[in-house]
Order: sequence, then structure tokens, then C-alpha cells
Amino acid sequence: MERLECTTCVELRIPCRPEYVGVTRLTILGVASRMKFSYDEVEDVRLAVGESCTTSVDRAEKNNRPDAQIILRSEISHDKLTIDIIDDAGSRISEEVDEGADIEPENIGALLVTLLVDEVEVYRLDTGTHVRMVKYARNG
Amino acid sequence: MQEMDSVAQPDIIAEVHRDNETEELFLAYISSQNPVLRDKLVAKHRNLVRYLAGKFVNRGEPLEDLIQVGLIGLINVIDRYDPERGTKFSTYATPTIVGEIRRHFRDKAWSLKVPRRLQELNLAANRKKEELGRQLGRVATPQEIAIALGVTEEETLEAMELGNAYDTVSLDTKLVHEGESAPVTLAEFIGDLDPALQKIETYGDLEHAMKMLEPRERKIIYYRFFKEMSQTEVARRLDISQMHVSRLQQKALKKLKELLSI
Repeated sequence: MERLECTTCVELRIPCRPEYVGVTRLTILGVASRMKFSYDEVEDVRLAVGESCTTSVDRAEKNNRPDAQIILRSEISHDKLTIDIIDDAGSRISEEVDEGADIEPENIGALLVTLLVDEVEVYRLDTGTHVRMVKYARNG
Repeated sequence: MQEMDSVAQPDIIAEVHRDNETEELFLAYISSQNPVLRDKLVAKHRNLVRYLAGKFVNRGEPLEDLIQVGLIGLINVIDRYDPERGTKFSTYATPTIVGEIRRHFRDKAWSLKVPRRLQELNLAANRKKEELGRQLGRVATPQEIAIALGVTEEETLEAMELGNAYDTVSLDTKLVHEGESAPVTLAEFIGDLDPALQKIETYGDLEHAMKMLEPRERKIIYYRFFKEMSQTEVARRLDISQMHVSRLQQKALKKLKELLSI
């Protein structure tokens, strides 16, 4: 893996399986607690990360990729927390996608993520998905 | 482990999502405004609210309360939804329902700034207290809660006391007692510096200072200020001149001031 550019960075690599989603939630709790976030803001970040990783896990299951992994990378700066969730769980299977609907049933979680943090961007990778979320520290 | 509860996605949401019945119901409701149809729509999406409320359940508010506020969001959003716009109802409703739930937390936010570690311990202690209460059939002691949490009893008590910091009470809160006509406010029960106690303290010092004076000086102060005699009267009683009384009095007062460091 490439050497990371950021100086205050916490990174975690876990199997893309349900029983490890809790580890990402606990990790991000520790990281977000170092920010000038309120109790509810920390909880929002934790929920957003949990939901995002859950969608990765769902995809790994649907695409039958038991060896998939998730990288959780968080970058702490004085005014914002940037979180990258990168998986190699393959892309979304589109057979169930209802044309015209802007969100799939299993993606209520993804919608929830957009409500909980300030910015969300989703990048399609060859092997999976990269979700980047940003939460600003307003109290700082 | 509680952390895992976010993994399972209920099938109910998928069901709600896929059917066209919801859309038909909406079209019928919009044209007729029949409250029975609205009730049906609310009932149909209860599980969406329950699912979303469940996501916020580890933050110290009862699930039932979160479902209640979420349902208010659902009812509001049903009246605003227009199926013609092409957005699925659950997509349209989720931000409003989540918004209502999060507002509930904002409104119920901790009134005092409490360290996060203790906030969490407070939540954990309360949960454990209920859990142990059910198991034991009586209220658990702080010691039992502390053992169950693996922390010291002192920490447990500290964390439980913090519950008071969650809610603050206005000083103007009216306390009405049975049989009392005028309600009193909480502020009226708050203690104040008692001037009488302050006086006792000062007099105690004065008594001590008086003992430090020359006998004649002490007599002058006594006659002048305790018996309220004039300088002339004091002069006659001590058989000295009024001028001498005045001088001695000044000297005595100066000493007293120094001794009392006024």
C-alpha cells in the first residue's frame, strides 16, 4: 500500500463480514472522540460508518466474496474528520434495481449516511466501492 | 454484542418498497383526504420508522420514545408527499423521520457539559441497573452495578449522579404544596449569606480585640459605644479631661482597627 500523505491518520483493515462491522464502529468512536464533536455528533459518525460498512458487507454477501476486506481510513484535522471506507466487495448487482427509483430498498442505510455527515461521495472502483464522508467540527 | 444490530436489514422495508399498493393508497388519499386511508399509510410504514428509530437506540433514549417522534415525522411527511414527482415514499420520508428523531436528541441534549467517558458510563450504569433489577426482582445496589460493569463503586456513583446534569430545572419552577395558596419558586429555597452569622463572627473578633486594649482605653470604648455616653460624661467618670478622652479614644479605635484589620 502507498505511504499515506496525511500526518494524523488512523487506518484499519478488516474482513468484510458482519461480525467485524462492530470493530469499525468502535474504532471510529475512538477517533471521533478526539475531535471537537458533541456527543450526538460522535454518535452520528459512528452510525454513518456502521451503515456504510454494512452496505459493503451486504454487497460482499450478494457477490459471494467471502475474502473481501474493508479499509477504514480516517484523517483528523482541526476542523473536520474525513473518513474513507474502501472495500473490494465488488459492485452492486443491478438486477433488483427498479428503474426510475433513486434508491434501492437495501440502501436505506446509504441514505441514512448522507443524513448523518456533511459530505458523502461514492466512487466506483474496479474491485469495489470507495465511500468518502466528511464531518465538520462546528464547535471548534 | 450490541454493535452488531445494524447489520440485519429487515425484509419489511423491501416489501414496503416494492409494492405499488402504497402508490395507489397515496393517490386515493390525496384525492379523497380520507383519514382512514391516512391511517392505513401510517400503519404501512410503521416498520420503516421502527427500523430507523432502532438505529439510534444506543444513545440513551427509550426505543418507544424514538418510535413516537419518528411517527410524528411520518405523519407530517404523508401530508406533504406527492407521488407524481417520482420519488419513492420511503426515500422521501426517511430524511424527515430521521430529522425528527435527531431533533429529539438535540432537544434532550445534556444541559451541562459532561465528560464523554462519564456520559457513557452513565448510560451503561442505567442499563445495567434495569437489567439487574429484572434479574434480582429488586433494585440493584450501586455495588452490584459496579461489579457488573467492571468499574469501581465510586465511578458508578459518580456516573449515576451525572444523570442530574442531563436535565436542568429553572429557578422559577413553581413548587406547589397541597393546601398552600401561593406557589413558591425553587429560587426561594436557595440559601443566602446570613448577616446574623456574619455579625457573630465580627463580634467574636471584637471581643478578642477589646482584651488587647489598655484598661483605660477599654473603659472609654465601653462607655462611649456600648453605653453611648458623651466624651464629657466619660471624662467626668474617669476624672480626666475631655481632650484626654478624645485622644485615648482615637488611639483605642486605631488599635482596634489594626487588630480587626478593617
